[in-house]
This record gives sequence, structure tokens and C-alpha cells, in this order.
Amino acid sequence: MRLLPLFGIARRHLLHSPFRTALSITGVAIGDCFMVLMSALMAGFETKFVDETVESSPHVTMLDEFRDPPDEFAGWLSDQEGGLVAVESAHPRERVYRIKKPYETLAAIEERPGVAAAALNVVGTSILNFGNREVGAALVGIDPERQDRVVSTDTYMIEGRLADLHSASGAIVLGSGLAERLGVRRGDTIGASLRGSGEAGGREGSTRALRVVGVFKTGLVPVDAVRAYTLVSLAQQLLGLGRDVNRIVVRLDDHTTAQDVAADLEAMVGYRSESWQEQNQNFLSLFNIQTVITYVVTSGITIVAAFGILNVLIMLVLEKLPEIAMLKSMGYTAADVTVVFMLEGLAIGALGVVFGSIGGYWLQQLLASFPIPMKGLIEIEHLIFVDPPRIYAVAALVSFASTVIAACLPALRAGRLDPVVTLRGRA
Amino acid sequence: METRALRRTLGSGENALEILHGLDVVIQPGEFCSIMGPSGSGKSTLMYLLGALDRPTGGQVLIDGIDTKALSEAALADVRNRKIGFVFQFHYLMPEFTAEENVALPMRKLGLARRPALERARELLGLLGLAGKEGRLPGRLSGGEQQRVAIARSLANRPLVVLGDEPTGNLDTKNGELVFALFERLVREQGQTIVVVTHDPRLAARTDRVVRLQDGKVVDDGPARAVLARAGERS
Ligand SMILES: Nc1ncnc2c1ncn2[C@@H]1O[C@H](COP(=O)(O)OP(=O)(O)OP(=O)(O)O)[C@@H](O)[C@H]1O
Ligand SMILES: [Mg+2]
Repeated sequence: MRLLPLFGIARRHLLHSPFRTALSITGVAIGDCFMVLMSALMAGFETKFVDETVESSPHVTMLDEFRDPPDEFAGWLSDQEGGLVAVESAHPRERVYRIKKPYETLAAIEERPGVAAAALNVVGTSILNFGNREVGAALVGIDPERQDRVVSTDTYMIEGRLADLHSASGAIVLGSGLAERLGVRRGDTIGASLRGSGEAGGREGSTRALRVVGVFKTGLVPVDAVRAYTLVSLAQQLLGLGRDVNRIVVRLDDHTTAQDVAADLEAMVGYRSESWQEQNQNFLSLFNIQTVITYVVTSGITIVAAFGILNVLIMLVLEKLPEIAMLKSMGYTAADVTVVFMLEGLAIGALGVVFGSIGGYWLQQLLASFPIPMKGLIEIEHLIFVDPPRIYAVAALVSFASTVIAACLPALRAGRLDPVVTLRGRA
Repeated sequence: METRALRRTLGSGENALEILHGLDVVIQPGEFCSIMGPSGSGKSTLMYLLGALDRPTGGQVLIDGIDTKALSEAALADVRNRKIGFVFQFHYLMPEFTAEENVALPMRKLGLARRPALERARELLGLLGLAGKEGRLPGRLSGGEQQRVAIARSLANRPLVVLGDEPTGNLDTKNGELVFALFERLVREQGQTIVVVTHDPRLAARTDRVVRLQDGKVVDDGPARAVLARAGERS
């Protein structure tokens, strides 16, 4: 088959009705453009979330518990087949959770290659109140200098400094959402309820006055809404933990290795160690769902565009019936005719993808330049787009493939047309 | 080129309709032959069969000794490309192509490069009195001019035979005469074989031989003058 004359015929068909051709190309381009745009937007949100998370959360968190509770009698009992005893509702054993030998463990963790920094934390929930407002907070007891090496905290301070925790004996730093819900600012004094148990604990139900010395905002809404920092010793008092420490937080040189390192540390020390991915599993799986939804929606757009192409090519074939008969009477084969119309589909697809990619890139720049503040899982000032080449490649592939598939049907039909039927119809 | 006991049935089963009932026609090289007959007598059907656009359901069509029945689709297309030149009542030029490009199309299919194909196209158009109009789109040519472009195209690959199905059917008398004058010249000067369907006895009179069809059968066949005279007597 000699392709050159077929190229010529296809080209003339397309150029002869520029409006229709432009319309078809636009259809493909819009599908492609939106696929790029949506993918880049989703990737933007995910990247922003991951970036903020690995910056403002520990890469690995060692907890004060074990993945398989070692001594649950009830569990053991119910595992016994055909036993005479059935356990209906087992009450877990009362025990104080803590990390034993925290300083030795910390030193051992810091030895490990790949670990950039580690710090001891005391965490627990505490009820904060201001006037008659009461809000639950995730209290984190830290050593400000050490902590900042593990989790960027000071850079997120919007009022005060993290080091101000040293300035007063009852100093606390609040997340912006938490401060908002309490209705407090830097300098206000709030109350925190004390837990009863532990050696240094106060009386049950009493409160301790705390001074708000700073407010931070990571942009991660779930973090800013609940987290509060105090010094380790104060947290131990508030939570009634005595001198115990219940978390070790770790920063790695490369956050993508967190899952491996967490597993290693857990094997080494025994305490349950969670990577940032495991801790944010809910959100990360949300992004997976979101990606699927994006592809479903944009595929819908692409399919609509493909139907447009199908429609245009069917019209074109019907319009060209006499010429198809003529080409065949001149000796052009069914395959030749099919190739002519396929080439037209390919050209429309290729041009559509080129313009779609350009349009997608351009629209990203445009939309990113508008201030569009949003508050959801993360808080942003304007839309964030991340567009690795892969996004363009996938969109181009899907758009191009659907155009080609749409072109197949009319092209094959054009090839199979019997010229005699057409000629009889007219003469 | 000849047909032997040629039959063509359209449709199948109960709806089957035989249009040609065993035609035996032999076209000699260099012959200028016209086919006449009332509407619906099967003239077009015969042309499609002679031109390898269609295959017989019975009997044989031999084009240059090749039986079209045995050929594949692609081989039939090749026969049309090399050995047949069609001219139809409606000109069926490609509207997006200039006159010379239209004429070049069969040559391009044959494998000729663009430049020599266009050169020969211009030559043919000049021969048919269209010099200076080679670059025009069909839409900017008159009906007669378009039909001459179609004739030039039918001659492009030096076919064994030019088949014309009422090529003057859509033209006025003057242009019809012109087309037949061209055919005559091609036959006399170049020995081109031409078979042409026409309803016009005056045009048929300019050919060497007339084959008369009626209801799918040959009812008369012979030198143009004799056949036309017999037809005249009858009516
Ligand atoms: N698709 C078809 N199905 C069935 N019969 C058909 C079909 N097309 C044509 N015919 C019949 O075939 C017969 C021959 O048709 P054909 O076109 O060969 O006649 P013709 O001699 O060329 O007529 P005209 O002078 O009007 O062009 C006619 O009787 C017509 O009714
Ligand atoms: Mg006819």
C-alpha cells in the first residue's frame, strides 16, 4: 500500500472543511485538557498534603504499646477449641503504658543510619477551657530544641516562638484551629484539667492555669485543630504520667523509607512503630479514591469527545459516499479507503492532544494565579497544581486512543462500502 | 474483453432478481462500441461487470483474458486501476482536488510519484482542451469541463478500455457532441477501446458498433448504422 497519496487525500478532506475539523480537534483537546488539569490538581493536593505532613509530622513514631498484646488471657482462652469456658466480655488489664528505658532507646535509634534526629514525646488528650468553652486537645510534651529537629514546628509559628515554652512555668503553644475554637490569643490564660493517676498527679478534677505563649499553623487542618505543645515535664503533670515517656518521634534523611525503617525499629525495640504513611492511612487512601474518581470523570469527558469524533467521521463518510465509490472505481482498495479515514482520525487525535496539553498547561498557570482560598484537609491560598510529564502522557494516551478507536468504526465502514450500491443509487 | 453467458442476480432467496440473463458480448481492441436499451434493461449492471466493480453470479467476464470471478477484492481493484477507465454520468470528481490532481489520482495509486503524475495529468488535460484550467477546483469548472476532466482521469493509466455509463447524460447537446468527438479522436488516433452507454441515437451513430439490450438480454448487435436502422423501423 502506498501511503503518500492516502495522506494527501486525508489532508485535503480535513483542510476542505476547516470548521468541522477544528471542532473535532477542539473536542479531543477539551477532553485531554481537563484530564491534565484534574490530574494536576489532584496531584497538587496530594503533594501538598504529603509535603506538609512529612514536614510537620514525625516520619516514624514509636508508641508505648505492642502490635500483639502479649498476655491477653481472654484471647488465649477463646482460641482453645471445644473449651468449657467462654469469655463474654474481657476487660483489658489495667496497666500504665510507657516506653521503658527511653534514653537508651533514643540513643539506639539515633545510631541507626538514615535517622536524622529523634526526640522523646509525651502525648495524651487533655481538656482545655477558656471561660465556659471546653475543647479536647492532643497534648504533646516536647523539648523545643530537639523537637524542632524532628518536626518543623518553629517555622509554622504564627504568633510567638516555640522557645517561648521555656519563658513561663505553665506555657503552652496551640494549633491555630484549637486557638480559634477556644477563642484565645497569645498572652491569654487558659485552664487544663489534670489527670489523677501517677506520682506527680494532682487531685482529680482540678485544673491548672496555662499561659498561651504562641500559636502555630501547619496548614494541615486536622493537626492545627487539635495539637498543643508544652514542655515534657508539664505534659507529664497534666496527663498524670509521672516521669514516663510514651512516644519517640523520629526524622529520617529520606521520608520515603519510613515504612522500612519503622519495621526495623519495631523489630529492634519491640514497641509498635508507625510510619507517617501508616499514621495517615485514612487520608492517603482518600487520595487513592480521589484519583480513581478523577479518572472516571475525565474518562467520561474523553468518551463524550470520542463520540463527537465518531459522529463527525460518520457524517464525513456519508458525505463522501460518491467519492469513495469513485476512488474504488479508480482502483483504490477497501484498505486504502479505511486508511484515509483512519489517518483523519489520527490527525484529529494527535492535534487534539497537542492543543489539549498546551491548554492544560496554560490553564494551570492561569488558575494558580487566582487567589482561591480553601480549607479542607489542608488549607491553601490558591489552587496548587503539580504536573509531572506522566500526567500529560497518560491524558494524551487516553485521549488519542479513544479518538483512534472512535475512528475505527466509520473508517472500516467506509472501506467496506460497495461502490456499485452508491453508483446505482445515483445513476 | 468478453462476456460468456453472463448472468447477474441481485438479492437472494425469494427476493432474488435476475437482471442479466446470459449475455455473450466480445469487445475487440480498438473498438468504439455503444450500448443502448430502455431504462432498466441492465446497461449499467453490464458496465459494472465489464469494469470489474462487480462480479457475475453466472457465466464469465474476461478482462484481458483474466476471469474476474476468480480474483480477490484487492486483485479486482488492481485490474480496475490498470486496465479500466470509468466515466460516469455524474462526474464524481474529488471536490477538494484540482483538475490535474484528480487526473493524477489513478496514477498515484499505480505508484507514480507526484511530479510525473501531475505532468502526465497536464498533458492529458491539454489533449482534451483544458489547458490553463489544470489548477482549478471542480467547483469552478463547467459541467462539460468537469466531464472532460473525468475523461482525462479515465485515460490516466492507459487503460485497456474506457467504460462510459451515460457520460453525456448530464450534458447539453453541444457538450455531448464534444465528448463524443473526443472519444472518436481517442479511438481513431490512439486506438483506444471505448464502450459507452447512451440513449441518444445520434451519438450512437458515431460509434462503430451498437449493442442493444432489453430486459437483460442482447436483442441486437452489429455495425451502428444497421442496428440503428433496424431500431428505427421497429418504432
Ligand atoms: N439494488 C437493486 N435491487 C434490485 N434490483 C435492482 C437494483 N438496482 C437496480 N435494479 C434493477 O436492475 C435492473 C437493471 O438496472 P440497470 O441500472 O442496469 O439498468 P439501466 O439499463 O442502466 O437503466 P438506466 O437506463 O435507467 O440507467 C433494473 O430493472 C432495476 O430495476
Ligand atoms: Mg444505468
